[in-house]
Amino acid sequence: MDGVLHLASPDPPIGRNTPLPVEAACVSEQADDQTLLRVDSINKQYADQVVLANVAFDIHAGEIVGIIGPNGAGKTTVLEVLAGILPAETGDVHWLGRPLPPSLRREAMFYLPDGVRPYQDQPVTRVLSFFADVYRKSADEITNTIQAVGLTPVLHKRVHSLSKGYGRRLLLALGLLTPHALLLMDEPFDGFDLRQIREIVGVLRGEAAMGRTFVLAIHQLLDAERVCDRFILLADGRVRGVGTLNDLRARTGLTSGSLEDIFLALT
Amino acid sequence: MRSHETFRVQDAPLRPLLVKELWEILSGRALWTMLLLMCPLIGYSFFQAVSLYGEASAAGLQSPVLAASLSPLDGVLVPTLGASYVAVTLLFPFVAIRVLGQEKESGALRLLVQLPYRSSTLIAAKLAAVLAAWVLSSVPAFSALAIWRMLDGHLFAPETLNLLFGHLLYGLLVGAIALFAASVSESAATAAIVTLAFTIGSWVLDFTVAGHPGVLDWIARLSLTQVLRTFEQGLLSAGLVVGIGTAVCGFSALATVWMPPGVHIRTKLFRSLVCVLAAAIIFGLATQIRFSVDVTEDQRNSFPVADQRVLAKLAEPLVVTIHLAAEDPRYADLQRNVLAKLERVLPNLSIRLAGGRQNLAASTGEDRYGEIEYTYGSRSDISRSTSPREILPLLYGLAEVNPPAPAPGSDYPGYPLVAGGQLTLLWFFCGLPLCIAFACWRSRRLPANHNKLTKEALP
Repeated sequence: MDGVLHLASPDPPIGRNTPLPVEAACVSEQADDQTLLRVDSINKQYADQVVLANVAFDIHAGEIVGIIGPNGAGKTTVLEVLAGILPAETGDVHWLGRPLPPSLRREAMFYLPDGVRPYQDQPVTRVLSFFADVYRKSADEITNTIQAVGLTPVLHKRVHSLSKGYGRRLLLALGLLTPHALLLMDEPFDGFDLRQIREIVGVLRGEAAMGRTFVLAIHQLLDAERVCDRFILLADGRVRGVGTLNDLRARTGLTSGSLEDIFLALT
Repeated sequence: MRSHETFRVQDAPLRPLLVKELWEILSGRALWTMLLLMCPLIGYSFFQAVSLYGEASAAGLQSPVLAASLSPLDGVLVPTLGASYVAVTLLFPFVAIRVLGQEKESGALRLLVQLPYRSSTLIAAKLAAVLAAWVLSSVPAFSALAIWRMLDGHLFAPETLNLLFGHLLYGLLVGAIALFAASVSESAATAAIVTLAFTIGSWVLDFTVAGHPGVLDWIARLSLTQVLRTFEQGLLSAGLVVGIGTAVCGFSALATVWMPPGVHIRTKLFRSLVCVLAAAIIFGLATQIRFSVDVTEDQRNSFPVADQRVLAKLAEPLVVTIHLAAEDPRYADLQRNVLAKLERVLPNLSIRLAGGRQNLAASTGEDRYGEIEYTYGSRSDISRSTSPREILPLLYGLAEVNPPAPAPGSDYPGYPLVAGGQLTLLWFFCGLPLCIAFACWRSRRLPANHNKLTKEALP
């Protein structure tokens, strides 16, 4: 499988009482240490329909990875299986080289689903405070997050009255309030205009520079090209290519091809 | 560089979760709508109860014998809280379902299950929210009790608290069923149907098959409606409390099993089976617990104290063989007046229905029909009475003990009260709804830290 380094791991699986080696999840100078998450042979099907077939890839610490594919390619399913909120038939996930069972995924990563409006009857402030209190975040950290994602004008509004864009910002703010090393985000730019996308990309870049890793499921290839360091091309539940834009160009022979050209060539 | 600490389950504070659940309950319209609907329902029941009690009291004030039969528990408390029971049966499921169903429908559950809490903690917090909702929804009933006291009505604390405890357990049971229904259903509407199938279904069950012999009688005992009967009779039964507690924990455990979305259906089914088996074992053990306390002021569920003392000393087994059909009214009389009281005081008591639980038509042709045979040790005697005044001397004779002298001054005086309830209607139809509307409005205000956050977040 492209871009996947298959290594036999001698380490025992992470148990319920084993601390996750997350301190090492920070960006490292050593290439081997950069593999934060390894995904092996995920298979998922509904009745007779295969949704994911042998999906495998690596995620490195501090990078922004885009899972790219058309609607129905299996992007959301990959994220939900990774987050442990959708069971898969087979598949292993390794965190810094050690097996990470589904029940412990929430300690390593946080998944922001698409189209979720949490706690619609509550004011934005209360929803943010809830997440901040759960993770014992300080008032400064909440304020910084609010400013970073631009939620100040709607703090008094109830979640159900937010526009699509502000709904996305709220979800992003909730994700940023979590302390997880890895954030999985489903269609994070859906509902944003170009200026807003640039703004949010800036936020993600800033977080990535601080050591946070992002896996984004995106169906808009232009958006993906703008924000992602590496790409996992997914079609019909199969990984068709993994790598940076230059890696994929080299592989397809499209030396100046866009992500769109590459995707069409590989699928 | 960002510190990549993760947040382990044991690190998570419980307070934000409880606060969030409470706000979720308060923010929904279901609770406030239920409260507003309960005002006239409970108010009218209370008004009717006070009026009828007043009419009966008018005669009772002239005669001490009639007054002794006037108990506020039967006359006012049970009918008033009966309206609360109807509301909890029909409306409370919608409030309780919201605690989980709303998050499931909006997708917020997928965020919630990623927070550093165990599924059991999440369900426990939701059950705590259901409890808070029950307390709030009982405000009209509590206000009725307060008004009764203001009208100089008598309340005997143990029997009042026991009745409220019964309603609390019933509310929690309905809430736990609602949580389970919400955890297995994709939508709140389906969860409502499932919960109402339990609550209204058992209501119907109670109407249709109660009093019938055999399997139907056993099925009728499963009805949720039966939960309150014992408390309404003024009994605090340990077996019943353990049984209801087990049912609440069982349904909560099932909700815990079915709530997390990332678990295979096979695993969920296996865990459910374990829960059901564990609950069934505890239920079985609970049926063996016969300890109960008669908390009524008139000690209606007990023989007079002097008789209780003598009966408690009867060490040999007493076998009661009843030649009556289960649906015969005399059997119900005997059960209420004698057998239930004997069960509470005699350590070795066996009750047998002769000829099984055959029906009335098949039984009445027998020569011995109507006889009740009491066998104590090697002696036995027969009676057709259902009154303790005749049966207790019979038992003392069998046991060869002297009947105790009646204790003086232990008679229940009764509490007649003629009170006009017209003004109470004003409270239940105007005052209380206005207070509830105000509380609803207050609950919609922004959180306390809103201004501070906004000020700090402004560039």
